[in-house]
Amino acid sequence: MSEFCLEISAANKSFPGVKALDKASFRLRKGSIHALLGENGAGKSTLIKIITGVHKQDSGKLFINGKEETLNNPNDATKFGISVVHQERNLIRRFSVGENLMLNNLPKTLLGLIDYDEIAIQSKKWLEIMDLDIDPSAVVSELTVAKMQLCEIAKALSLKAKILLLDEPTSSLSPKEAENLFSLLRKIVRDEGVSIVFVSHKLEEVFNICDEVTVLRDGQNACTSENINNLDRKKLVRLMIGRDEQIVKSTRKTDKIKDTVLALNKVKTELGHENINLELARSEIMGLYGLVGAGRTELVKCLIGLEKITEGDVLINGKKTAIDSPKSALEKFKIGYISEDRKKEGLILIHNVLDNTSITIWSQIKKAAGLVTDGMIANKVNPYIRKLEVRTPSNYQIISNLSGGNQQKISVAKWLAAGTDVLIIDEPTVGIDIKTKAYLHELIINLADNGTSIILISSDMPEMISLADRIVVMKDFKVNGIVENDRDYDVVSSKIMEFIHS
Amino acid sequence: MKYPMNKKLPNFIFTNQFGLLFLVLIFIIIFSTVTDGFTSRFNIFALSRVIAIDIMIGLAMMVVILTGGLNLALGAIGVCAAMFGGWCMEVLGIPIVPSLLLTLGMGSLLGWVNGIITVKTGVHSFIVTLATMSIYFGFMTMLTEAEAFRRLPDLFTDFGSAKLFNKYVSPLLLVSVATCFTLFYLFRFTDIGRKLIAAGANPEAAEVSGISVSRMFIYCHVLSGFLGALAAILLTTRIGAAIPSMAGQLGMDWLLPAFLAPVIGGTLLSGGKLSVFGTMLGAVLVTLLTNGLYLLDVGEFWIRFFLGIILLLAVLLDRARELLTLKNVIVS
Amino acid sequence: MNRTLAAIFKKDWFGLLIVVLVSGLAIAAVKPAFLSPFNLYVLMVSTSYMLIIALAQMIIIAIGQMNLSVGAIGGLVAISFSGLMEVHQISVPVAVLSGLVIGIACGFLNGYITVKSGISAFIITLATLYIFKGINLGITEAEPFYNIPENVKNFGNAKIGNTPIPFLLIIPIIITILMWVFINRTETGRHMLAYGNSVQSAELMGISSSKVVITAHIISGFLAAIAGMLVVCRLQLGTPNIGDSWLLPSFAAPVIGGAVLAGGKVDVIATALGVLIVAIISQALVIFKIDPFFVQIFLGVMILLAVFVNRYREYKQEVRRKIFSSE
Repeated sequence: MSEFCLEISAANKSFPGVKALDKASFRLRKGSIHALLGENGAGKSTLIKIITGVHKQDSGKLFINGKEETLNNPNDATKFGISVVHQERNLIRRFSVGENLMLNNLPKTLLGLIDYDEIAIQSKKWLEIMDLDIDPSAVVSELTVAKMQLCEIAKALSLKAKILLLDEPTSSLSPKEAENLFSLLRKIVRDEGVSIVFVSHKLEEVFNICDEVTVLRDGQNACTSENINNLDRKKLVRLMIGRDEQIVKSTRKTDKIKDTVLALNKVKTELGHENINLELARSEIMGLYGLVGAGRTELVKCLIGLEKITEGDVLINGKKTAIDSPKSALEKFKIGYISEDRKKEGLILIHNVLDNTSITIWSQIKKAAGLVTDGMIANKVNPYIRKLEVRTPSNYQIISNLSGGNQQKISVAKWLAAGTDVLIIDEPTVGIDIKTKAYLHELIINLADNGTSIILISSDMPEMISLADRIVVMKDFKVNGIVENDRDYDVVSSKIMEFIHS
Repeated sequence: MKYPMNKKLPNFIFTNQFGLLFLVLIFIIIFSTVTDGFTSRFNIFALSRVIAIDIMIGLAMMVVILTGGLNLALGAIGVCAAMFGGWCMEVLGIPIVPSLLLTLGMGSLLGWVNGIITVKTGVHSFIVTLATMSIYFGFMTMLTEAEAFRRLPDLFTDFGSAKLFNKYVSPLLLVSVATCFTLFYLFRFTDIGRKLIAAGANPEAAEVSGISVSRMFIYCHVLSGFLGALAAILLTTRIGAAIPSMAGQLGMDWLLPAFLAPVIGGTLLSGGKLSVFGTMLGAVLVTLLTNGLYLLDVGEFWIRFFLGIILLLAVLLDRARELLTLKNVIVS
Repeated sequence: MNRTLAAIFKKDWFGLLIVVLVSGLAIAAVKPAFLSPFNLYVLMVSTSYMLIIALAQMIIIAIGQMNLSVGAIGGLVAISFSGLMEVHQISVPVAVLSGLVIGIACGFLNGYITVKSGISAFIITLATLYIFKGINLGITEAEPFYNIPENVKNFGNAKIGNTPIPFLLIIPIIITILMWVFINRTETGRHMLAYGNSVQSAELMGISSSKVVITAHIISGFLAAIAGMLVVCRLQLGTPNIGDSWLLPSFAAPVIGGAVLAGGKVDVIATALGVLIVAIISQALVIFKIDPFFVQIFLGVMILLAVFVNRYREYKQEVRRKIFSSE
């Protein structure tokens, strides 16, 4: 009988263009709460998908209770007692709690009809374990998100889950709700014999509740099953980021920063931002740092007009303006946005390189009768495609056939071609290979040096510290603090962390 | 089909159009040899008129499919516009050209209503046009009391029966082909055409990149209504009268050719990729097949069945094509 | 007693019931002939098959899809039913069974292709609409079947005793009750609604998408078949154009009944009331000698309004939930 209820050894997994996991290992000890950590793109989500049966590893073994098994689909995982509670809720909101809990296995009367009384009785049992005093006939949509989550855990228990995977469980919970969740987690580990894989960005929670830690970095293990008592926050951050990636040197010509091009004054948005005060100077790189759910992307989306600003002023070059759409942001104020979700918002996957790169400039370059030929476009955008060293067999290559790094370059190229004064860059190097990453960093600095003002959103600490002149730290849709970047990694990163955890 | 790497790949699905042209030629050869009458002057002339209208109907639906939506009200818009035009010419005595412009205007207006409702409410264009189809048709029937306009100016109706090129070809076909070239130019060589395509392919990305997607979608619906009205004008001049039932009940007779032509022609149902000449060839192919089967005594009643099968095959092929285009999308 | 009353108040269909009663009474106040036995009979007859047609579409709306071929299936079954009896002298029960089998087969085809190809159901059913209609025309060559057995014709005409209630109404009422039980009290029905609410959540809970989709389409085809045969009884003919006008009302009634087109929210009773509302208004137009084409306009406007209202309600609930759940 193995002491490990779940073990993955030397898993390799590749997707076109990217190696997600490189001999990664994971061992979940029975009766433990095990943290799985890693930055975006480190391979965490791929590992999770292998554990839950969504993907199969290319090579490497998977053991459950010491026995080697193969998971072909999520149903297999459930059969082996592996349940996952995702970041977003997965209940049927129009149904009752009881029905949700028992949906795979509805109790029936003699006639074959659903026995709702029996549902109430059986589901009560699982709800009580989670300390949920809810009527099983209550409709899920009327519950708080926290209670919905607890219901999902109750459901996992009812499916006889022995391995519970929680993915960013506290991202929509208040501190009180989170604390409640943790005490329940300890309880079910103790009383129900459940072992937990805890995936989170929030390091203080990891120290609060977890016994062991595995950190992934660039698809490999930075540490495996390390006892939490051997670690402190600093060590953990270093494991996640990697000592050798601390970039200190910068060629930034900071004396170029001059007048304020963009300012936000006591801005409130319909998404929940409050009292946002920011100033962006010409040639400045202003970083927006924060954890998932801090509201950074949401803020910039309000800035370019995709969502509404409800109160406060936006000043461009000193003048109050109202930006009602990305179209007016680009055409009137030369503000561009490189989205973090390049497949959904950044690129048109079924179109080719030329069309994607020129989408921002068709209006600009058109001649009489709206004429825009491929030749005219090529003239304008080829310099940028070449400059970014995009590797493509031809300008007519369909974007979906390019590697992630090259796709990202195109999503940048189109804004270079547009010639923006202010460029908002959202998570530019997630899931991108190191060489392209370095290239993009150089590019960003060059842009700023040549007069473009940049707002950089990144969850990558080294990237942020090597690029940004100032780092705005956001949390819960508010600005928690601003750090001047003197490029001393240890100092700056701890100041940032302080603001995060305050 | 191989093509050298450094050679220009057209935006449209090249292989598909070539295949269609090939099929068209094959069927022409088959039907010419197997049936009598296929190559007769009478038949080709008749064909040219039907093809002209089917091309136009196909183009009208194509521009809405571009947005990832559908225009079920196409036939209704066409008939409403034509009846309006007929009323202008016959009852109000307005000269032909202004009447035709008013007809096109009416079509555009009805298309605009579809577009506005779709964009502002966020309801799928299928439902919107399902509803407006009956609203438009109902109003038209009420106002005209289901009476046709049969005393249209001779100059107008003569156009429909005119014969060109040694009596083989109808001028209607020239109108349609000219429209094809115009649309080709629009989508290939103008900024607005490119924006329409981008908006249909990925509305989110297009919006972020500075395109007003709602405006583009409305333009598509307006254009659809415009082309629908143009198709109805061609139909009216061919029949010689503006008849409320000329597109079937609620205009539904137009739906099959309206879908078949673009889908066979390579326009993706999910939006963002179209082929003007593919639609043209698709209309030609379908009309040829229908005509050929008819001449082969298959019975006019089974033709609809065959067309339904073709539509099914065409959408399955469309799906396969869509999967192939995204074949190498990187999974994260 | 108070609690049941309160519970009924909150139900979706309560508002519709009020509309039905109020409009019915209002019309009767102006034109008492509206409540005459003859008029009630006509009303109930048209409601009878429309009810089944609406339910045939409703089950597909429940899974978040659309079935454009309901009318075509109904028409194909109608002519097959009458054709088998007239041409091949098949007995009535066997003909009925054959009709049902055809309906099930058509539904299965729709569901299977939708699942296997991954193409949206409305495109698939647009194609099968023409395929089924094509087979219909191919068989009938646009000629109706006139020789319907006497007992079938009588069934179509008969009333229950001395009341104006047509025999025809019995079947739809039974079906409505069965559909209510299916949607609300059976596992497959609940799985279907779960799927319609969220494909992702349903699949994560182990619900088989293909089973749900194919079953729903089979039921839809089955119901369309029944409706087709009922129309034959009523018309005393099997004409090829049966089903041509079903598409719009098949959507109107469920949508008026509060159905959400994205799926996951349908109400059998509300749909039935929706059918009744449409029937009442259509009847009223006849009685008031208003142009019958107005019905089409009315239906179109009703659909737009209903869809819009439903969407708005859903949006409001989302907003309410967002505010409520951030404790």
